Amino acid sequence: MSMTDGPTPLSSAKAAQSAANREGLSTAPGASIAGRKGKKPGSLGQRWNALSRQQQWSFLIIVVVLAYLLPVINPPILTTEPGNNFGLACFDMARFALIAVGLNVVIGYAGLLDLGYVAFFAVGAYVSAMLTSPDSAFLKIPYLWTIPVAMAVTMFFGVLLGIPTLRLRGDYLAIVTLGFGEIVRILATIIPAMKGQVGFQSVGHPPGTAADGNPIFTNSNGVPWYWLILTIIIIVLLLVGNLERSRVGRAWVAIREDEDAAEIMGVPTFKYKVWAFAIGASIGGLSGALFSGQVGFISNQRFDVYTSILFVAAVVLGGAGNKVGAIVGGALVSYIPLRFTAIAEYKYLIFGILLVLIMIFRSQGLFPARQKLLAYGRDAVNWMLKRDDGGTGAGTNRTAGTAQEKGAQA
Amino acid sequence: MTLLELDNVSVHYGRIQAIKDMSFTVEEGEIVSLIGANGAGKTTTMKTISGLLNPSAGSIRFAGKDITKMKAHIRVVQGISQAPEGRGVFPGMTVLENLDMGAFGRKDRSGMAADIARVFALFPRLEERQKQLGGTMSGGEQQMLAIGRALMSNPKLLLLDEPSMGLAPQFIRQIFKIITEINSQGTTVLLVEQNANQALARAHRAFVLETGEITHSGTGKELLANPAIKEAYLGVG
Repeated sequence: MSMTDGPTPLSSAKAAQSAANREGLSTAPGASIAGRKGKKPGSLGQRWNALSRQQQWSFLIIVVVLAYLLPVINPPILTTEPGNNFGLACFDMARFALIAVGLNVVIGYAGLLDLGYVAFFAVGAYVSAMLTSPDSAFLKIPYLWTIPVAMAVTMFFGVLLGIPTLRLRGDYLAIVTLGFGEIVRILATIIPAMKGQVGFQSVGHPPGTAADGNPIFTNSNGVPWYWLILTIIIIVLLLVGNLERSRVGRAWVAIREDEDAAEIMGVPTFKYKVWAFAIGASIGGLSGALFSGQVGFISNQRFDVYTSILFVAAVVLGGAGNKVGAIVGGALVSYIPLRFTAIAEYKYLIFGILLVLIMIFRSQGLFPARQKLLAYGRDAVNWMLKRDDGGTGAGTNRTAGTAQEKGAQA
Repeated sequence: MTLLELDNVSVHYGRIQAIKDMSFTVEEGEIVSLIGANGAGKTTTMKTISGLLNPSAGSIRFAGKDITKMKAHIRVVQGISQAPEGRGVFPGMTVLENLDMGAFGRKDRSGMAADIARVFALFPRLEERQKQLGGTMSGGEQQMLAIGRALMSNPKLLLLDEPSMGLAPQFIRQIFKIITEINSQGTTVLLVEQNANQALARAHRAFVLETGEITHSGTGKELLANPAIKEAYLGVG
């Protein structure tokens, strides 16, 4: 498993590869163009690629363990208390991170600017609420079952929205999705069954009781919810990571870079765009369902356009196209107003300024995306040249490429 | 045998008619050139054949099949491949990744490897630069990559949209030489050019396009010798 965008060297080639990587770093420090432009963006990814597979795994395990322990340790510098309960803050950060991972599929991979992503989040939340809350007239099912149902329903809505709108491009698509975001909120207001501002109370939660007889999952304790959503994030990351490395991922990158060129390369661009929308939507719905279970109360007040823009900000801030970036971006967007309560009122102002600064100084986001070498082409060439260096890292290749170029120029 | 046949094809952009009742054929094994000034409809013709644009009237037949309504990505599998105007390489992908994208519709790995070898033999520069990002290459190299990528689908018909655009003279000569070589390997080539001199000299047959209509046709040599064309497109009176 690789949680960065960089490829992980195959174990057979890892020793030679890591040596080559280090060499690449030491001989051509200025030539790191892994992040398309600038020197800094590549260095982190390259350092990551320079690690052996075992080192990468152990690092990941430490990060994951620390992530699970975060609300228990409650580090004094990071904590959001006394202003906000840290367990709940952790859940909120994880919720935003999950949303950003989903939106990253749409914006980051396929390059489709979706400004109405909150709609999918809302649909997921409403599905979960309406199938568990006693205020709802629908049939009731156990909360955990609402999660796959919410994902399926939002995926359906993703396809529904995608089929007419994905014929549009760029700004036009952004405008239509913006409209869709509002439509869902307004429907929640005018459809009686969705109860507008009154909303749904006591949405269900996963089963289980603690030793003292109280339920584990409550609205006031964010920690179990945080662990649940963190586990889900890890699963989603594994799935999305696989998708990214597959044929689908290559098609998305091609569409993002040049849609017409992708089409005449034989990529069914429309189909893959709808897929990106559907997958992104279902992750948004998943996050919505978890959110609705944790807060326990859903009304139309929570799904405005600002929230949608905040989601986009999370992806752009983290670095569109990079899973790790999406997680960090999502967590930051949630964390900053929770931690610095004095400035929470001005969060849109602050995020606005932050985004402008990011665009000026680091337009690729905090964690710039890089594409990996595509598996097929690499295999084909290796097969042809009878070479056995299948695990070449993209970062290093580019270093080598630039070094070569520099040599040629000299 | 006729590989491509356009029959009274018209294309509109909104209300503006870019191509008017155009008919021509491309025979198997030929190099056919379409020459014309800016706005004559050259790129529109190419996009219509590759499927990025839909004709408002008329029909297109390829290898005996009507492909008028066929989607662009399916035409690739049928054997039409285009190197788009302005090259259209994927800037964030390496040379190798770009070539790999060209073979997106294919499943046969060994055939793909053979085609990568073919492309590298035609363009040794691409082999040297295989790990470089497409967007960081020079114009000439990007053109090579665009042609190489189009060849990766092992097309019957290769559409080249202004391969000489923005290139240095020695690159232009080289590109045209390679186009002739690709043709001699058995790929039919339909070429759109402003550089009429080279395009006519290399073509078996050629058409002159003016404001969406074919005004002259003939073998490349005939058109090269035609005084009217000389004056209008070759810069000599």
